Amino acid sequence: MTDRTALAIDTLTLGYGNTTILDTLSLTIPRGKITVLAGPNGCGKSTLLRAIRRLHKPSAGRILLETTDISKLGERMLARQIGLLAQSPSAPEDMTVEELVRLGRYPHQSMLQPWSPDDTRALETAMAGTSVAHLRERHLGSLSGGQLQRVWIAMVLAQETEVVCLDEPVNHLDMSHQLDCLDLVRQLNSQFGRTIVLVLHDLNLAARYADQLVFLRDGAVAASGRPEELMTEGLIARVFDVDAMIITDPAYGRPLCIPLRTR
Amino acid sequence: MSGLTSTLSGARAPLALAILACIGVVLALSGVAFGSSWIPLEQVASVIMGAGEKTQKLIVLQLRLPRVVIAALAGGGMAVAGFLLQKITRNALASPGVLGVIDGAALGVVIFLAALSNESNALVTSIAYQPLAAMVGAVLGIALVFMLSGQQSASAVRLLLFGIAIAAVFKALVMVMMLIGPIYRTSQAARWIAGAVNEINWSEIHITLLMLLPLLVLAVLAARKMPPAELDEVSARSIGLNLPVFRVLIFALAAGLTAVSVAFVGGVGFIGLMAPHLARLVAGRNIYAGLVGSFLLGAIMLIGADLIVRVLFSPVEVPAGTVTAVIGAPYFLFLLMSRQRHDG
Repeated sequence: MTDRTALAIDTLTLGYGNTTILDTLSLTIPRGKITVLAGPNGCGKSTLLRAIRRLHKPSAGRILLETTDISKLGERMLARQIGLLAQSPSAPEDMTVEELVRLGRYPHQSMLQPWSPDDTRALETAMAGTSVAHLRERHLGSLSGGQLQRVWIAMVLAQETEVVCLDEPVNHLDMSHQLDCLDLVRQLNSQFGRTIVLVLHDLNLAARYADQLVFLRDGAVAASGRPEELMTEGLIARVFDVDAMIITDPAYGRPLCIPLRTR
Repeated sequence: MSGLTSTLSGARAPLALAILACIGVVLALSGVAFGSSWIPLEQVASVIMGAGEKTQKLIVLQLRLPRVVIAALAGGGMAVAGFLLQKITRNALASPGVLGVIDGAALGVVIFLAALSNESNALVTSIAYQPLAAMVGAVLGIALVFMLSGQQSASAVRLLLFGIAIAAVFKALVMVMMLIGPIYRTSQAARWIAGAVNEINWSEIHITLLMLLPLLVLAVLAARKMPPAELDEVSARSIGLNLPVFRVLIFALAAGLTAVSVAFVGGVGFIGLMAPHLARLVAGRNIYAGLVGSFLLGAIMLIGADLIVRVLFSPVEVPAGTVTAVIGAPYFLFLLMSRQRHDG
């Protein structure tokens, strides 16, 4: 455990009933970096993300935040340290943008701690940082998919957590909104210094945005490292059962995967 | 349009609530003034202030005021229960009637009347224990729903489905017991099931108030956690609200409110469905405005329903619950149909 580590996942085992989803998995999430979890369907990447936010209780092992076992933290305390944007979040259509972003401040408040200037500052910073301030009076039902995703990210940003987890945030977005959304996530990392843990399906987007790329397969880490080191034809074949060609993309110099055929 | 309503909403809620409160007071005073003999409003006011002659005092304070007060408390309590349920299930069709609470109470009443009657159809104990039977039935009803849904009770839909199923079973049992029972029992039970606010005395009001007030305070305290509870479960938990646990607490609170509200007046239908829905329309999205608005509208509805049956059917005592059912059932259908259009 070094001070470069935000989260240390230590021999984590997790399952439902008799099915094991994660099997003695160990992984460190570096502080202030973007870690992308990728892998085939059912590899356990979403489950791992939810376990990090303590939405699933592991049957063995633990997750350390700095030096604290997250299972020891109270609900509000944990919500001030780790945020999670769900895969398909939902809120009432007649809720306004500002009402939703305000909810990000919920863990910072209590009966004895009402809305404070700190909360206002965090709210305004989050709305400005995600460029949704001009939408504040709008109802969520009147927004486009891309706008709505920005508003949800604004809520997670207002939460001011050290770690931000996002579960397939670009799933239902078109190409321009995918880039828009992931650029915003990168901005959370670079401008606001958040540690990001991201589940992405698209391997090329993963390679483009990840500082650390983690391949999961069958509930365990198959490999992890910088995308340039990790994206090899052999590893893609082993993890995804796909024959692929890996080239370096001419624009950004990141590895680009061209899938050829399933094995 | 939406811009206009949102700019107005800041000023709208307090104004709407003030108007509702005024309507409530006027209705309550009319409820006291109306009856077999008309008592002018200024005399009603002076009797309530402590003046007035003896017969008027008797009529106002012992006969008419109690039924208005209990109508306000019971209608308001049921409406708040409905408001909590609609918020926590994120479903405008949820109401106390679907949680097995009201039918559990009805079963309690019918069993009480059946078990404690002798051969000549007379009760061997005081009828004053009937509300206790209703409350026990209500609590057992909701307990059974939670027990059977077990692990699934954290899911709103599962819990509602179990509630509807249990309510149906209780309804059938009530029907069987009424069909095989003697006449006295049947008419007394039918009266409770329809819901009536007459023949209420002050000690019953004191009991209701004593139990209702702490529950209402809890509802106001819980309101702070309501906005995160409007999100999906993962989002609510990720901002620090343990939604499954909170949901069970709110269901229990709504069940308690309903049980206390129906204990003396009986199973008045549809107020718990209509009042919160209308409250959202007039008072907007704010949780506190919704709570207060629901209480006021529920009170207005039951006082109004009682006034209607007294004006239309006097001198026969018709249960006020018949009016809420006659208005509420079409309203429910209207809600269902307009949602269908919306969803489709």
